[in-house]
Amino acid sequence: MIFLEKIHKSFGTHEVLKGISGNIPQGEVVAIIGPSGSGKSTLLRSINLLEVPTSGKVYIDGVCINEGRIDIEKIRAKVGMVFQQFNLFPHMTTLENVIYAPLKVKKIPRKEAEMIGLNLLEKVGLKEKANTYPPHLSGGQKQRAAIARALAMEPEAILFDEPTSALDPEVVKEVLNVIKGLAHTGITMVIVTHEMGFAREVADRVWFLDEGCLVEDSPRQSFFASPQTKRAQEFLEKVL
Amino acid sequence: MLLDFERIWPSVPYILEGVQVTLAYTGVSLCLGFVWGMLLALFKVSHINFLRWFASFYTSVFRGTPLLLQLILIYFATPQLTGYTISIWEAGILTFTLNSGAYVSEHIRAGINGVDKGQREAALSLGVSYPLLMKDIILPQAIRLILPSLVNEGIDLLKESSLISVIGGADILRRANIVASEKYLYFEPLLIAGFLYYILVMILTGAALLLEKKLKTT
Repeated sequence: MIFLEKIHKSFGTHEVLKGISGNIPQGEVVAIIGPSGSGKSTLLRSINLLEVPTSGKVYIDGVCINEGRIDIEKIRAKVGMVFQQFNLFPHMTTLENVIYAPLKVKKIPRKEAEMIGLNLLEKVGLKEKANTYPPHLSGGQKQRAAIARALAMEPEAILFDEPTSALDPEVVKEVLNVIKGLAHTGITMVIVTHEMGFAREVADRVWFLDEGCLVEDSPRQSFFASPQTKRAQEFLEKVL
Repeated sequence: MLLDFERIWPSVPYILEGVQVTLAYTGVSLCLGFVWGMLLALFKVSHINFLRWFASFYTSVFRGTPLLLQLILIYFATPQLTGYTISIWEAGILTFTLNSGAYVSEHIRAGINGVDKGQREAALSLGVSYPLLMKDIILPQAIRLILPSLVNEGIDLLKESSLISVIGGADILRRANIVASEKYLYFEPLLIAGFLYYILVMILTGAALLLEKKLKTT
């Protein structure tokens, strides 16, 4: 579903991604892990072109999206994203946040959108907060609302950019549980995370990044049991 | 007694009628200036070089020359250039709109830049197009950020609208002047004019404070 071909990304003279290729089939859950500054978030953000690669190709459903004339909005509507800082729209209620894109991008009738929205909020345990404005939600609630917002577009894939890094420790679990509930329901998930326990539990595959290179791309069990590369071994020794 | 209000007392209603005129100039120009300023601000953050260049050149011209000069120029030069005899009202509204648009656009641009970058990314990631992103996500938050400076803009414009009296607009100041020359009393009518401007500005300031408080709670 997502296919990356030799992705390079430089900021000025600093090369953050040094030619990353990889394939993520529909429905698979991939955890991207690695030390800070290894390019994890930049790689993730390349998938929906929030960062445009300096060179290389990004394919979504077999279509190269960073070349020629492409309706990038249509592609982005298929690939949801959940951010470290939530990025809810503070001037809209929780429900309005969730139904905004279905209403304005997909042009679903309001009644129907509200029904979908309320169902999603119920799914993430926030139905009673539907009419609350984001500044009045806790961190965990904000992130769950943000997940509901991404799901409202019925995306084929969701990108999670360190979804629990900005959360208080005691609410990390409630958010991880929501994400876990989505895994293996047919939706493709790419998760940049520092939560090794979570990666180990939920991911099908692990991508280990170091200094802008995809050092290791292995099934979860073998990665955690016997990492192939020295760098991955060292990393796991430090974090586990 | 140096001040003699008794003699100008019958003329006070005449001066008071100027409040309407002053408010009309201010209100209409402020609304039009806001729309024009918004457009200029969108030019300033656009990706099209020409629009960006045009907007900043425009702003520099209108901020870099006296408002009075702009007003006189538009009032007297328009007939010469186009053959159209522009009325005082039209000249005033046009000048104040063009001028306040320049100032408002700077405020709005600052507001747009002040909105968290994540808002844009979140909207883009949902497939929201650039026009919708601006209209529904960025501008509502930007305007909220800069509301206090917009009110200040309104206050400035209210006071600057007194320049219309120079080309004969019958606003508060002009009426006070007329009364003054009729009665050969200058201090009293001008004092009344000053008092009226002060009251209007205070009302605006109070309204702004209320608005700000209300925005803070929601």
